[in-house]
Amino acid sequence: MVQFHEHIISDLLEDPIGGLVVISSGLSLSKLISSLLSLHSADEGTLLILSASPSQRRSITVSSNPNPNPNGGATPIEITSELPAHHRHALYTSRGVYFITSRILIVDLLTSKIPTSQIAGILILNAHSLSETSTEAFIVRILRSLNRKAYVRAFSDKPHAMVAGFAKAERIMKCLFVRKLHLWPRFQVYVSQELERDPPEVVDIRISMTMAMKGIQKAIIEVMDACLKEMRKTNKVDVEDLTVENGLFKSFDEIIRRQLDPIWHTLGKKTKQLVSDLKTLRKLLDYLVRYDAVTYLKYLDSLRVSESFRSVWIFAESSYKIFEYAKKRVYLFTRSEVGKPSGQSNTVTGKRRKSKENNDGKEASDGGVLLQEVLEEAPKWKALRDILGEIEDERQKHASVSDELVDTNLEENNGIVLVACRDEHSCMQLEEFITNGPKKVMKDEWEKYLLSKVELKGYQSRAKGAKKKPKQPKGFGILNGVAPTTSKENAEPSSINKQENDALLAAAAEIRNLSKKEAGTEDPCPHHVGDEVTSKGKTTGKSKRPSRKRQNSETQNETGCNCKTSDKYGVSNSSNEGEKADSDTIIGDGLQGGEEGTSLSGNGVLRKHNQEITPGSMRKGKPLPPVHFHALESDHCMLDTLKPSVIIVYHPDMTFVREIEVYNAENPSRKLKVYFLFYEDSTEVQKFEASIRRENGAFESLIRQKSMMMIPVDLRLQIFNRITKYLDIYKYMWTARIIFADCDFRSDDHLLGLKDSFIELQASVSQNSITRKAGGRREAEKEMQACEYVIVDMREFMSSLPNVLHQKGMRIIPVTLEVGDYILSPLICVERKSIQDLFGSFTSGRLYHQVETMVRYYRMPILLIEFSQDKSFSFQSASDIGDDVTPNSIISKLTLLAMHFPRLRIVWSRSLHATAEIFASLKANQDEPDETKAIRVGVPSEEGIVENDVRAENYNTSAVEFLRRLPGVTDSNYRAIMDACNSLADLAVLPVEKLADLMGGQKAARTLREFLDAKYPTLL
Amino acid sequence: SSRTAVQRSNAILVSHRQKGNPLLKHIRNVRWNFADVIPDYVLGQNSCALYLSLRYHLLHPDYLYYRIRELQKNFRLRVVLCHVDVEDVVKPLLEVTRTALLHDCTLLCGWSLEECGRYLETIKVYENKPADIIQGHMDADYLSRLNHALTAIRHVNKTDVVTLGSTFGSLSGIMDASMEDLARCPGIGERKMLVEVLPCFSNMSPTFTPESKVKRLYDTFHEPFKRVM
Repeated sequence: MVQFHEHIISDLLEDPIGGLVVISSGLSLSKLISSLLSLHSADEGTLLILSASPSQRRSITVSSNPNPNPNGGATPIEITSELPAHHRHALYTSRGVYFITSRILIVDLLTSKIPTSQIAGILILNAHSLSETSTEAFIVRILRSLNRKAYVRAFSDKPHAMVAGFAKAERIMKCLFVRKLHLWPRFQVYVSQELERDPPEVVDIRISMTMAMKGIQKAIIEVMDACLKEMRKTNKVDVEDLTVENGLFKSFDEIIRRQLDPIWHTLGKKTKQLVSDLKTLRKLLDYLVRYDAVTYLKYLDSLRVSESFRSVWIFAESSYKIFEYAKKRVYLFTRSEVGKPSGQSNTVTGKRRKSKENNDGKEASDGGVLLQEVLEEAPKWKALRDILGEIEDERQKHASVSDELVDTNLEENNGIVLVACRDEHSCMQLEEFITNGPKKVMKDEWEKYLLSKVELKGYQSRAKGAKKKPKQPKGFGILNGVAPTTSKENAEPSSINKQENDALLAAAAEIRNLSKKEAGTEDPCPHHVGDEVTSKGKTTGKSKRPSRKRQNSETQNETGCNCKTSDKYGVSNSSNEGEKADSDTIIGDGLQGGEEGTSLSGNGVLRKHNQEITPGSMRKGKPLPPVHFHALESDHCMLDTLKPSVIIVYHPDMTFVREIEVYNAENPSRKLKVYFLFYEDSTEVQKFEASIRRENGAFESLIRQKSMMMIPVDLRLQIFNRITKYLDIYKYMWTARIIFADCDFRSDDHLLGLKDSFIELQASVSQNSITRKAGGRREAEKEMQACEYVIVDMREFMSSLPNVLHQKGMRIIPVTLEVGDYILSPLICVERKSIQDLFGSFTSGRLYHQVETMVRYYRMPILLIEFSQDKSFSFQSASDIGDDVTPNSIISKLTLLAMHFPRLRIVWSRSLHATAEIFASLKANQDEPDETKAIRVGVPSEEGIVENDVRAENYNTSAVEFLRRLPGVTDSNYRAIMDACNSLADLAVLPVEKLADLMGGQKAARTLREFLDAKYPTLL
Repeated sequence: SSRTAVQRSNAILVSHRQKGNPLLKHIRNVRWNFADVIPDYVLGQNSCALYLSLRYHLLHPDYLYYRIRELQKNFRLRVVLCHVDVEDVVKPLLEVTRTALLHDCTLLCGWSLEECGRYLETIKVYENKPADIIQGHMDADYLSRLNHALTAIRHVNKTDVVTLGSTFGSLSGIMDASMEDLARCPGIGERKMLVEVLPCFSNMSPTFTPESKVKRLYDTFHEPFKRVM
């Protein structure tokens, strides 16, 4: 445990009410939490941990495991909705430590399933995401009203998120009823002293980017700048925020959104597009230093396909350069002179030509097109390899010197090298690169890229009709030595672009053929595909990486699925059959010693490899130290488990740097060495430095806020106001006077007392309170009579409305509703839609269905359209309305809904709070809703109601939504499908007959099956 | 006789009361003419509308009630078309909502005269239109259906759909992909820092925690529909 953690904890424990702790990111919040948990003793009661993300839960559990406190504070367990109610109750009273979601907790609190007196307190993580209307605030309010001794300790390690919005920290503290803000920036004296006492050896390596990368970066920044200029012209956003540096961060979107949200609906299409373009550009910039050249190009291609019609940036002058450079990093496309000699193309760039044998036939048809692979490697790769080599050299030197000397020291410094990258993708790729060499990795990516391109061709020709198939063997011709003159595209090379596409396709077809062949040879025992490949790999002295294996088997699956087509292929393939054995060995040869193989058959299938780069030789040449790859995004804290002695930071990240510092401070005996890999003059460096500046800025602002915070005084005033407002003023005047007088003393002790009385007041105001002091009882009973019940669907606790309704003094009854979201009276049923939901559920048809059932069961069915307070109160600007009545307009949809359900009432609400007022007004003079009736409404058949069914938690909601969006799936058959298949993955493999049973018809089943298996039309 | 006139007419019948209402300038896609009718606008055999500007309502809070009472039960769809032309809407809109609701009227709000005019036009134009465009029958082409299905999963965007499609070849391929394969896709294996964008969604889902797109996709396909109790 690091010293400053002790400081943080002892500061925090000083105040029994709790507090809010904000620390710099990377200072191991989870370890801090688990230290805090180890201090928890069972005598205090149960401790609940709210809003912990899955990764936080994991790392807290991991770090509390090693030293379980015998006195109590055990490893926290998760309370989930799967636990039946009585079991949950038992846990609540067990005085242990539990993770819980706010949705379960609020429902259990509202239904009085929690013995609140047993709760010692709650810890809230990710406090930066709290607000007055969030469920956590709702929980704290109820808990405080029922148990005034419970503490609330909130934590955040995202300081920059704590300063978003006006006085955010203060508002969060108010809604948690805590009054101490603890700030622990990295530059805090205890923290910096401890972390800098014995700093690790740091090597900062700056690598220059390739010309193409620089070109791309420059072009992206140019386009970004152009977009920002356009944005400035709109005069909608504060000009100061519109800088490229800001644009590098994801929080830029937030800055923009916050300024634009209130007027979002009034913005023109172009401005909206600019906002999303900026986002895309930032990603491109980020991916440039993260992905290899081929993957980058692939991403660009995907972007072009998905965005081309809308984007502004894609048509900008510089964007053209982005695409050009990205392409140049992967391949060159040139026209060759006819009859160029072949078989000597083993240059460093791995130049590859179209197969020699076909040249006579081919070049006549395609005009001597040459596709040259460039496959630029990322410059960091070489640097990484060099570093690893250097480390190994040093290690061996060290080992030979100090072999017998200090065994213990050796054990301590286990020599593990940790390479930290941003994401899993880079990790896997680097691992491949280290084991197989750069050429192999790039080749594989290239093959994958080409394969994804060729599928389009397959799709197209298949669409033309299967009968045509044998005549159009989509690129097979190249392999079979048949000149592809039958292909129309090749016959008339109308433009460079066309030729380029054809060349790519041809290359792709070769690869596809190769894998087909491999699959073909392995057909007899398809389940051993993987093994065979590996063994083959071994015989050729080469370990094939897993993804290649998968690719093979995938291709095979594909052929299996489309057995019809492959049968037909059989005809054209027949010439292949004979060659099979032949080509098999050729493949082996090709892999081993490329050149020979190529000249042997001239078969375009073969990949030419330079001898010197075959991975085996690389391995032999340079033994490498044990390397572990770690994805920063995975949020696992690898440092403590791996105990590396060398860390290579491949993608610099502030949080991770801090983690290294903490790790170093915790293990002073270990001599840690850290390498940083930066691209020189890149946005990567800029971003890293800016992130540190930004965090420091956030803390400075928080420190200022803290010095001006009005919390103590404010609370006193608030208490006084509440007393005079809610309670019998004469009875409490005396106390009130004391309280007021106390304000002048500003003594903490008095304030504590105040706190208690404040909490008591809360209790008497609260509608859901059960136990209370005698003083408040009369008032409470009076209020209970006027109390208004609202039945709320469980799923609605995702939103803030139940919280606000409760603040308004309504009593919330959480149940599972089949029809509607809120039941206000036996007659009134409300379906609530935020604007976003409204648009979405119109498109999906959900809203129509929901209204249909509401109208069926309730006298006064209501559609509540709820606007957001901080967004504009309108659907669109007058200029967006257009000249004609169009079916896509929200006006048309809403009108149709009103016309088809004339009994449907529509309520337009400005905000959450306005909704609460409308509800209160509508409930006036109405009977209270009937809980048991409301639950039964619309429930199909007699399947019975599961008690305490938190429906949304029990269903995989996104899977259900996904299912309902599939063609052929309807309101009437989706339940049957869900009952019969465990998951969507199961559904994906059901044969059509089985589907027909479930879906009640052949037609629907066929529609679905065809949709699932349809080939995705690829790029080009 | 006025009833039969209404039946035959394919124009909006406008009450003489509405003379001088600038809204009329914005009814351009449908013919309209003045007639002796009780509602402000007769939009078809069974539907009518009353026009109310919120500003007018503030001056004459009882006006709406009396107008609704006049309508009696002659129309199946009775629209109160409310022109939101004041800044401070909450209180007057609450009153209008309440009156409309308790007297069987459908409230529609427009923020400009154009928008109000468009509602009237649309009701007339769609007089005999079936509801299929709001019943979820969407474009039948493969790509839009695929987009529609996959974007049901949170944070999956159209670019991701292209990436997934071209990587795995078909929807069943995507559904069968392993966590590792998904992580290999550019743009998918990248986690969105939701924490940073959270504040603007804070009133939507306060309990939201960052989770990778990969896991979200994988869980959607592999977690059971119904979690076992």
